[in-house]
This record gives sequence, C-alpha cells and structure tokens, in this order.
Amino acid sequence: MPDVVDPSDTVDRSGPALTGQGFGRILVAVYGLFALATTARSGVQIATKLSEAPLAYLLSAFAGIVYIVATISLARGDVTSRRIATMAISVELVGVLGVGGASTLFPHVFPHATVWTGFGSGYGFVPLVLPFVGLWWLRHTR
Amino acid sequence: MTGSYATAITVIALMLAVWTLVLVAMNRSPGLSLLAAGVVLEALLVGFLIGGIVQMVGSDHHFARAEFVGYLLGCLAIPPMAAVWAREEKSRSGTLVVAFAFLLTPVMVLRVQQVWMGPLA
Repeated sequence: MPDVVDPSDTVDRSGPALTGQGFGRILVAVYGLFALATTARSGVQIATKLSEAPLAYLLSAFAGIVYIVATISLARGDVTSRRIATMAISVELVGVLGVGGASTLFPHVFPHATVWTGFGSGYGFVPLVLPFVGLWWLRHTR
Repeated sequence: MTGSYATAITVIALMLAVWTLVLVAMNRSPGLSLLAAGVVLEALLVGFLIGGIVQMVGSDHHFARAEFVGYLLGCLAIPPMAAVWAREEKSRSGTLVVAFAFLLTPVMVLRVQQVWMGPLA
C-alpha cells in the first residue's frame, strides 16, 4: 500500500523532513519572530551605539544569527538541515544558560540587556523554553 | 502616536485574534472573510507607518528614531509573513500561527508607543 500523506495530520510520520509541519509551523514561526526581533534590534544598536556596550550588542547579534540558522534549518527539515538545527539549538541552549547564569551571578558585567540576559526574562522566558522545545521537537520528529 | 488610531488597531487586532482562535477551537481553516479583515488591518498598519513617520519628522523631541521606524515596519511585516507561512499548513497549527500574528500586533503597537515616549516613560 502506498504511503499516503494526509496533510491534515498534525504529526506526520512518513519521513524525517517534517520539522516545519504541524506543531513545527508554530515553532518555526516563534523562532522566526525571535530571529527577526533579535537581529533587527542588535542591528540598530550596533549601527547607532556600538561603543556603549560592544559585548552586549555583539552578543545580541550572535544570538540573532543563531535564531536565523535555527529558523531556516527547522523550516527546511531535510537530513542536513536537521543536523544544523540540532547544532544551532544546542548553541542557543548553551548561550541562554551561560549568559543567563553569568548575568545573574555578575550583573555588573551585563549592564545592557541582551535577549539571553536573566535567562530571557525580558522576553517572558521564552528564550529559555525555546531551545528545550526545539530539541524535543527534533527528537520527536526523528 | 498614543491616539485613538493606535487604540483602533489594537482593538481590531485583538478581535481578529479572538476570531482566529475560535477557528482554531472549531478546527476550521481561515476563510476569505478573515483574509479580507487581515487586509483591512494591514491597511491600517500602513497608515500607522505613514502617520508615525510624518509625526516623527514634525517633532523635535529626542527618542530612538531608527528603532521607532523599525518597530513600525515590524508591525507591517508580521501579518503578511504569518499569512504566507500559514498558507501551506492546513491543520490547526497553521491557523494558530495567524492567531499569534494578530496577538503580536498589539504588543508591537505598544512597543512603538514606548519608543515614541522615550526612555523616561
């Protein structure tokens, strides 16, 4: 019997190229939003006041790039993209935990907020939850 | 920037969000009427951008102007991007993406207003 793909299925198990479908649509949308917001914000900051806080703004730009890579690779969802997505989201997880921890322990080093400062508290802790959901989704759709 | 025009956008966006969430709950795909309503919202956001820039040019108070225009453009970009991204997904998830976009619009309008008020507000 041929493998018929029902587009109304929220979780489709016919192959690996599905990270951008079903629940993945929402996940990619949220990642895309963070990619857009973080990149645009740090772009403005770097263009207008880089000297004020080069570490924070360059870190924001880095976070933005990680979000862009995660968004595109999750949306594409082929074998290579899954690998790239796993790496990008792992970097994101380390980033939010590392920057979150460091900014909590040494707040004077991080006077200017980034998306990962305080474990993403400025964004309703979504940046903290997102990598866990992303890695779970990659596992779930494997 | 804080006037009734922004309030109207917020109210309409929230109404569209509720409408879309009802569609999600009923497991129905967005139809032509929701698309038309979304186009109306988008037209209001174009007006918001133009009005915002006109007000900005005519004002001499200090605020982050690049950020202000960035947020205005962001307001404008979100609904079409959500529509394109949701179009290929016929499940509830696609409709929920549209609902998120409508919920996001008031947040973006609020950010536009905060940037307009400057860092003291």
